[in-house]
Amino acid sequence: MTVTEERPTAEQQGTFIRPDGKEKVTGLGRYTADVNLTGQAHAAFRFADHPHARITRIDTSAARAIPGVYAVVTHEDVPENLYGGMVQDRLLFAKDTVRWEGDVVAGVAARTQAIAREAAAAIVVEYDVLPALPDFVANAQPGAPLVHPEWTAYDADDDLSREGNVVGHSTILKGDVDAAMETADVVVTSRFVADASQGAPIEPRAILAQWTGDRVTVWTSTQVPFAARDGVAHTLGIPQSHVRVIVPLLGGGFGSKCDFHFEAHVAALAEAAGRPVKLVFSRREEFLAPDHRREGMVLEFETGATKDGHLVARRATLHLDKGAYTGEGGFFAQMAAMHACGPYELDNVAVRAMLTYSTNQPSSSIRAPTAPQTCWALEQHMDQVAAAVGLDPVELRRRTLIRQGSHGPTGQVFDEIGMLDTLEAAVEMIGYGQELPDDEAIGVACGWWPSMASPSGAYVKLNGDGTGTIVTGAQECGTGAVMALPILAAEQLGMRPDDFSILYQDTDAGPWDMGASGSQTTFNNGRAVVAAAQEVRAQLLQMAAEKLEIDPADLELVDGTVRAVGAPSTSVTIAELAGTGTPLLGKGSGDLPENPPTDIPSACVGRLGLDSFLAPQLITHAARVKVDRETGVVRVLAFAAAHDSGVIVNKIGADGQVYGGVMMGIGQALSEATYFDEEGRQRNPGLLDYKLQTASDGPRIDVRWIEVDTPNAGPKGSKGVGEPPSVPTSGAVGNAIAQVVGRHVTQLPMTAERVWTTIQDVQEEAK
Amino acid sequence: MSTYVEARDVAAAVAAMADGARPVAGGTDLVVGARHGKAPLPESIVGIHRIPGLDGISVADGVVRIGALTSHAAILSSPELASATAGLLDASAIVGSHATRANGTLGGNVMNASPAMDTGAPLLCHDASVVLTGPGGTRRVGLAELWTGPGKTSASPDELMEAVELPLPPEGAGSAYVRLQYRRQMEIAVVGAAAYVEVSDGAVSAARVAITALTPVICRVPGSEEALVGRRLGSNDSVSGENPAVWTQTTEIGDAIHAAGQAAAAAATPISDVRASAGYRTAMAAVVTRRAVTAALTRATGGSVTVPASDWSER
Repeated sequence: MTVTEERPTAEQQGTFIRPDGKEKVTGLGRYTADVNLTGQAHAAFRFADHPHARITRIDTSAARAIPGVYAVVTHEDVPENLYGGMVQDRLLFAKDTVRWEGDVVAGVAARTQAIAREAAAAIVVEYDVLPALPDFVANAQPGAPLVHPEWTAYDADDDLSREGNVVGHSTILKGDVDAAMETADVVVTSRFVADASQGAPIEPRAILAQWTGDRVTVWTSTQVPFAARDGVAHTLGIPQSHVRVIVPLLGGGFGSKCDFHFEAHVAALAEAAGRPVKLVFSRREEFLAPDHRREGMVLEFETGATKDGHLVARRATLHLDKGAYTGEGGFFAQMAAMHACGPYELDNVAVRAMLTYSTNQPSSSIRAPTAPQTCWALEQHMDQVAAAVGLDPVELRRRTLIRQGSHGPTGQVFDEIGMLDTLEAAVEMIGYGQELPDDEAIGVACGWWPSMASPSGAYVKLNGDGTGTIVTGAQECGTGAVMALPILAAEQLGMRPDDFSILYQDTDAGPWDMGASGSQTTFNNGRAVVAAAQEVRAQLLQMAAEKLEIDPADLELVDGTVRAVGAPSTSVTIAELAGTGTPLLGKGSGDLPENPPTDIPSACVGRLGLDSFLAPQLITHAARVKVDRETGVVRVLAFAAAHDSGVIVNKIGADGQVYGGVMMGIGQALSEATYFDEEGRQRNPGLLDYKLQTASDGPRIDVRWIEVDTPNAGPKGSKGVGEPPSVPTSGAVGNAIAQVVGRHVTQLPMTAERVWTTIQDVQEEAK
Repeated sequence: MSTYVEARDVAAAVAAMADGARPVAGGTDLVVGARHGKAPLPESIVGIHRIPGLDGISVADGVVRIGALTSHAAILSSPELASATAGLLDASAIVGSHATRANGTLGGNVMNASPAMDTGAPLLCHDASVVLTGPGGTRRVGLAELWTGPGKTSASPDELMEAVELPLPPEGAGSAYVRLQYRRQMEIAVVGAAAYVEVSDGAVSAARVAITALTPVICRVPGSEEALVGRRLGSNDSVSGENPAVWTQTTEIGDAIHAAGQAAAAAATPISDVRASAGYRTAMAAVVTRRAVTAALTRATGGSVTVPASDWSER
């Protein structure tokens, strides 16, 4: 194991910058909204007029009569194909029922966006209004009114353990919690509530669809082009080969542009209009319409511990708000249950998590779904346990975190991991234990996140001048694949990373890939690129062997040449070999790492492949904050992030993920929330009142990588990187606030008013 | 049909406005508001941003004149204003973003009449008036008479605001504006307060306090002012601008500052919305008022308060 602070290679010092960086920062980059086609029409949607209602009549005649309207599309104009990830519970256009304020009732294509919006408003939709069902905890109770009365008829994954409004029920059971609690010196209980939040990409989504005969090309701002393509094919009932998805530059996603969203709506409008149709969301629509935001949660923990800092048992009950539809978020209950255990040694566990429908905006993956909120709650609970047993919070973690040989909550036995090293590194970087003014304090939190194994594919080909092109199915959403993949290919071929161009945004070109999600592009597609490059390498060695009359085993690829080992003057350039016209083309996918085994009991339900955490990414964050006691305003003054993401392939990209992730995490900690009214309507769908942190609010962020050469993982012993930087952030901030205030703030985000209210409560009780 | 004309002088602008055009300079309220769906862009717009003489800051005959087209960025870089109207700099420094401050004008901010505008309370405390020119001539209107409701002014639709004028403060005066803010850029005042004080012979000889985003229009708080006037700061030896706590904690002036805060809270009629509850806003009215008064007194007595005072006063 090595701890890396400086590792000066050319790539990592910045001589190899993002190939798409300059165009993005100079404004020359072309995003989906910048793409225009001759004769295109503009789209607008008619959204539900009530969060929950039965549709009794839709009359589009007035809208169709408006000059400049080319098409109006409702459920009658598309196949009645339900869609969704683990549960197929949604139609493109609502037919009988609307279940949240963003449900799409109809779409319009018109000469201008203004006409399209006018026509959308002119559609007559009549409803029988139903009571809104925004309370996901109440909805989980037996006998509660159903968001989907027809839930039993839906096609769904059998492992979800569905019942009524509960889309997913997942349990982790280990040992004998009742008996173990009896042996505890202290038992600590806590309850926390986390509000919903958003991915809030700076680019509102845009889609442009054009039909050529019976085939459609869709330009779209998606993180997952193949899921978008498959969604269009499924919902419109056409072959996947008739749908081509192209992704221009993507202006951020943070998970919100995962999954299939509006591509088929726009394709259907383009077909009906007989011309290309373009949809560009306003900022307000970007908040209201996607079935994709971070889930609200209610979390209850009970932990028994001994005075010497041993965790003897954990109970937890978690409620998660699924909102109106399942989307790709069906796995949330099990993911949350794993995070309710956390990266700790626990012999006795009883955790249950319920993912429940409501008539709120649907939740789905936002950067590390379920983890930041669960970790925020658990890590504050851990500080409460530390206080109860009289140990320093860092010392309690030192005694209880997983290490090599530890058995996880599901019996996973951990290989060499750097969990404790991240703790020590973060504590050292932040200066834990230093004297601070009485309105400042340091908080520490630990977390984990799995690496995701998924099939992936890539081609590598060489051009006649000795440069190369990577054709991949992977998607770049700002995460750095455009840097990591050329680095990996170049290493195999003795070339330079900037010798390679990369084509990544066309489903007709690259092999299937799950897309920019799950912290896994370098993890899986890196493996594919290495395998493809190795095929090219073998071809080059064979060609050079024939030309130089040397055994391929005695040749090496260095500095753009193939040369004899030990006799570098006996060589041939790659350009010379590639220039002969012989195709130099490799394809690859590589061998998938396998999830580690567990001994989870068969009584556990809701098992969806997350029983064990493959190549776990392990994190400790530490925050130094200042609390304004008169106002409750919190400023994060300094931040330390120590991560075990295995061997780092591209340090610039990895550091960037941490800087961005920590800022997103601080936003979730202090200011970012979607507030719903009593009926589930968003109260702050805009960037003035959905308060992202700005650069001026950012603290100094120190990063350290604990580089464990990890077996059964990604290229070069790497793990994922992208999601963990937001996982323990809010927990660290929360623990720091509690040190100043004398009590934990139990609602997320920990807004100024909530911090102030907590301070008032402490002062009231002291009287 | 939408129309846009560009005026080259005040008379042309007034003529266009008499025909129903709305004036636009930086566009940071009008355009942003339209894009947010707050109000559609007016059918007829007159650009006033190239009219000579509407820009710039001057001090003459005891009057500070700030042209309507003066940007927040220009206010921030004005040495005259830095010493005379520091409270206005506190406000201009935190309006929106860097881009807003480069494009947004003082005239637009004042005439938009938002109860949450940052420059309003400090200007009110500086006894500012606006110079309005219409078809019938030019008149001066005090800000308290100008603002009649949220987004409403007493200016007639054909009157162009040419400048803000305020009396040059005497020696021993200081002002400050403090707002409660959840983040440091792209923020709107949750609540805010401004204070202007004159200190002579170790006592407060004049005081004006105004509150922001706490009432339908930004307004003065007589109760806060009465609490301060006549109060002694303590001996000159103990007054230290570097350490305002010397006179905020226990002395007569400390009690007066506290009372000024309480009076501001009592005068507030806040709403509950997604930004804050009414109860929290009321409590914060007292806090930001205390801080604004403290910062103004510190400046008045030669102490250093960095701009913006909102950041300076976080504790």
